[in-house]
Amino acid sequence: MANTPLVTRRHAVVSETRHLLFSVMPGAVWIFVFLVLPSLYLMAVAFMSNGPYGLPELPLSLDAFKQLAGFGFLGWSPGNFYTLLRSLWQTLVSTALVIVVAYPIAYYITTCRAKLRPLMLLAVVVPSWTNQVIRAFGWMNLLAPGTPLSDAAQALGLIGQHMGLYPSNFAVTLGLVYNFLPFMVLPLYAAFEKLDTAQVQAAQDLYASPMRAFWHAVFPQTLPGLLAGTVLVAIPAFGMYVIPELLGGGKGMMLGNLVANQFAGGSNWPLGAAGALLMLLATFVGLFAMRRIGKRLGGGEEVVI
Amino acid sequence: MRKRTLNRGLAGFWWLTLAFLYLPLAIVVLFSFNSTNSAANFTSFSLRWYHRLLGNEQIISAFYNSLILAIVSSLVALVIGCLIGYGMYRHRHRRLGWLIVLIYLPIVLPDIVFGISEMAFFVQFNRLTGLLEPGLGTMIIAHVTFQIPFVALIVYSRFVGLDPSLFEAAKDLYASPFQRALHFLLPTLKPALISAFFLSFTLSIDDFVISFFTAGPESATLPIYIWGAIKKGVSPEINAIATLMIGAVALAAILSLLFNRQGRR
Repeated sequence: MANTPLVTRRHAVVSETRHLLFSVMPGAVWIFVFLVLPSLYLMAVAFMSNGPYGLPELPLSLDAFKQLAGFGFLGWSPGNFYTLLRSLWQTLVSTALVIVVAYPIAYYITTCRAKLRPLMLLAVVVPSWTNQVIRAFGWMNLLAPGTPLSDAAQALGLIGQHMGLYPSNFAVTLGLVYNFLPFMVLPLYAAFEKLDTAQVQAAQDLYASPMRAFWHAVFPQTLPGLLAGTVLVAIPAFGMYVIPELLGGGKGMMLGNLVANQFAGGSNWPLGAAGALLMLLATFVGLFAMRRIGKRLGGGEEVVI
Repeated sequence: MRKRTLNRGLAGFWWLTLAFLYLPLAIVVLFSFNSTNSAANFTSFSLRWYHRLLGNEQIISAFYNSLILAIVSSLVALVIGCLIGYGMYRHRHRRLGWLIVLIYLPIVLPDIVFGISEMAFFVQFNRLTGLLEPGLGTMIIAHVTFQIPFVALIVYSRFVGLDPSLFEAAKDLYASPFQRALHFLLPTLKPALISAFFLSFTLSIDDFVISFFTAGPESATLPIYIWGAIKKGVSPEINAIATLMIGAVALAAILSLLFNRQGRR
């Protein structure tokens, strides 16, 4: 008699574990086999040497990383290194521009009538539901030589005669800002909506100038939203492939294009894998840094996509 | 007074931003009705590019590929993701850190790294075993991989939102686990399953990068076809097919608006 409860409890634990295995395992195994293993393989490729058909071979080497930094057979050539710098620069500039545009927009939406707000948010988000290839194509059409925008830029002397605004680094920046704007507006809007106006009131009662009131009473409260938006914009921007490929031309290449080219025609798998590893590292460092800063802010807000 | 100027400025900025957001789409729609093959000058209204679409077998097969890929991958992801979501909820008191990492991995991995890893893996696997030739099959596998987390998280959050005593009640009411699943779990999950399916479907239809790297020669989807056409040199047919896709998005936007209205009532 005294035994039975123990036995059933034990039995229950076993069946619970079995239940866990049956429910979770198919998906866990799927992701492990089709994503974890492939990415581990890719990481290993980064440390191999380049074989005759661009496929990776032993022995292990650090050649791929040297090539990524610009060291090749013919000494140092800056091509790959410039691509890295350009990716960083484009990420920084486009994220900053996205913040500059999204901040007033998110604020403005909160000042409008409550009934209008969901509609306004939808209006900001809907273009991003269109496929990104089509959106980049739209910009190609707008910025090509002979279009009003290019003609205006020519008249102002910004670009040479018979040139277009695309392909160029400018077009890539524009495309990135266009692509990621909604990712910043949404978290910022959430922050503005929760804004504690009592703090702003207090600042005004104490005769703070509008600038000071904004800086001390409003801005800190929107910081968690700003941070979430920065994660959502900067990380995918750094790895962007489609926009630089379509709008950038040869001199607008970013890290994503460098990586992809090594697996397509150019075929140097280890170099491509090294680039991918760098991107992965940047992603995790970015996520980690934001988590740390977020914790210090005490927002404790989860970044939800 | 100052506040009013600020608000006027903001309103102006809002309309400018909207113009910025919709101009590239508007230009694609406009030139899909252009009678000449020009991306700069609109000559006169015509539907000739739409007529050409209907005769283009490549576009039609790309359309079917997109549809098959989205439906099959969403269904597979729905089953697998739903199981994970349920397991995560039932065993939420255990240490499931490894599972959380596994589930967030497909979400945080940059698209290009995701796509290239899969491609490198499939190519080598195919060289070794002759299985998994690049094509719709490999694309479905890749899509399921990025859809699973979203389904799992939606199902999980639906369970968390439920009153835990409901589970006890269901246990008392229905004898077998099968009956419980049929009469309690499935009906309560229905809204979550529907939205998970539609999210998976949308993610699949919208994806370009991962499809591009896992596709085979015969399995181009619509975005891949459009990409190829753009790379080869712009043809006005792209405007027409892109316009149809923009139309589908507009329709989805209107539906979501109506759906939300109804939900709030």
